[in-house]
Amino acid sequence: MSTTVIVFLVLYYVVVLGIGYWAARRGAGENLEGYLLGGRNVGPMTTALTLQSTTMSGYMFLGAGGLGFAQGYWALWYAVGDIGGGVLNLSVIGRRMRKLSQMLGALTSIEYLEKRYPSPAIRLIGGTLTVFLLGFYVLAQLIAGGKGMALVTGMPYPVALAIAVLVILIYTFMGGYLAVAYTDFFQSLIMLVGVVWIMSAALAELGGPTAAHAQIAAVDPTLLTMWGKDLGFEGQWGVVAGALLIFSVGYMGWPHVVTRHMAMTRPATARRAGAWATLWNLFFVPTPYVLGVLAVVILPGLADPEMAIFEIAVKLLPAAVTGLVMAAIMAAIMSTADSLLLQTGSIASRDLYERFINPKATEKQMVAVSRGLVLIIAVIGYAVALVEPPTVFSIVVFATTVLGSAFLPAYVCAVWWRRANTPGALASIVAGATVAFVWEANGLVDSTQLHPMLAGVTTSTIAMVVVSLLTQRSSPVPPHILDAMTESDRVGPIPERFLRAADSSLAPAASEVAHALREEVRNDQR
Amino acid sequence: MTLLGLPIETALVVFGFPLFWIAYTIVFLIRTRHWERDDAADDETR
Repeated sequence: MSTTVIVFLVLYYVVVLGIGYWAARRGAGENLEGYLLGGRNVGPMTTALTLQSTTMSGYMFLGAGGLGFAQGYWALWYAVGDIGGGVLNLSVIGRRMRKLSQMLGALTSIEYLEKRYPSPAIRLIGGTLTVFLLGFYVLAQLIAGGKGMALVTGMPYPVALAIAVLVILIYTFMGGYLAVAYTDFFQSLIMLVGVVWIMSAALAELGGPTAAHAQIAAVDPTLLTMWGKDLGFEGQWGVVAGALLIFSVGYMGWPHVVTRHMAMTRPATARRAGAWATLWNLFFVPTPYVLGVLAVVILPGLADPEMAIFEIAVKLLPAAVTGLVMAAIMAAIMSTADSLLLQTGSIASRDLYERFINPKATEKQMVAVSRGLVLIIAVIGYAVALVEPPTVFSIVVFATTVLGSAFLPAYVCAVWWRRANTPGALASIVAGATVAFVWEANGLVDSTQLHPMLAGVTTSTIAMVVVSLLTQRSSPVPPHILDAMTESDRVGPIPERFLRAADSSLAPAASEVAHALREEVRNDQR
Repeated sequence: MTLLGLPIETALVVFGFPLFWIAYTIVFLIRTRHWERDDAADDETR
């Protein structure tokens, strides 16, 4: 085990813990809105980078590299959609969702759905589905963290895994959303430096891009095509469309990602955040996939394709740089895991515990429940990660496909389609999740040549449109929601009457928060 | 025909999509300049 690598890792952990401590000192953990949404006070650059680093995850260093190694440039279909995922998400729903969530008095992305589509069933089904899928997604991050740390440091896998889980838990507990957002910001920069450094070393080793591609062509020319190894995906446009959709429009259906819109300082933060997201994605997103392709000639005969990027780093970089790169990889894993844990805990406490079990829960009780659940999920995740379940790629694609299929039309129509009603949203969530799940579980991709994401999103969209239109008379969208939608469309300040109306629909704990915030604003103005 | 050693079809996808997203972002920034009115109004209430 290299001392230099460990020094870099320890230094990295100290810095992220320091950021978490600083965010906690800023008062992020004092009330529920502070804990869950950072007091809706997160600026454009931080919004963009927390959005991107949360969505990138350990998948980028394991799954993306593994896919590039196995399928060559075909893997880039995922990347070229992903590059626009951030700006697409922010431009389509960012500003409107920020306004609408505030007017409806929602603190979590699932609570927002219930406020927009009034029905306890939305919250129960949406909350349960999200907790399950995000828990599953966390699992992939834990496996990635354990595998990576074990390889680079030489520590036994269970010890490496335990250290990663512990650090994530400590800083998620310390400051809630704000700690997560600011550590994500820092980690996104480390991730960028890390992948660019590995790519530079890889290209230098192979004599530049043209020479690298010539060497890959000598091994297998089909790896340079957009149709996969041995042209295995040739003409399968249904699979290509799904790969493009999953990380572009798919983001709009991920509850842990759309929460970022609700936490922005101002609705217009979405504008500049979109530009930052594209800039960061252009440099970061394609790199791990291409590194996986280059590994074909750098690491011939690699046993575990998902370890391609780790192995390149260990082989080509000096120990000091490997330490930095390892920190980058851990940054990707941890920045996603902490966000997932926080969101899972928040949704379980507010959307399930407070809403259905203890409606009179105080803020302190809810934060305690959220933290307790985070701990339970981390412990279960740790136990499951020890037995090494499926690959990181398969877990991430499964969880994100079902999430995107279930929630994409519900979130998009919430701000754009005035006729989207409760039965439509319920049908859309249930149908989308079921179809995507069945498609994944039964391996229908091969027989239908349709990506599960495409099948799921198409189904949930049709369900939303058809059921909403058929039930307009029996379940019209309530007038106060239509008013709020009209207001979210308008550019300008939210009228006081909307903020007053939001109060009456809030849970007791959230009303206290709203009241305290208004008092704070008045004090500031004095 | 190749570009940086990549078949032209691959190069079109790999470089074309990023160019599309850059254009999308620029158009988004230009068309939403008026969103800053939300900010100005918000500053007043702060």
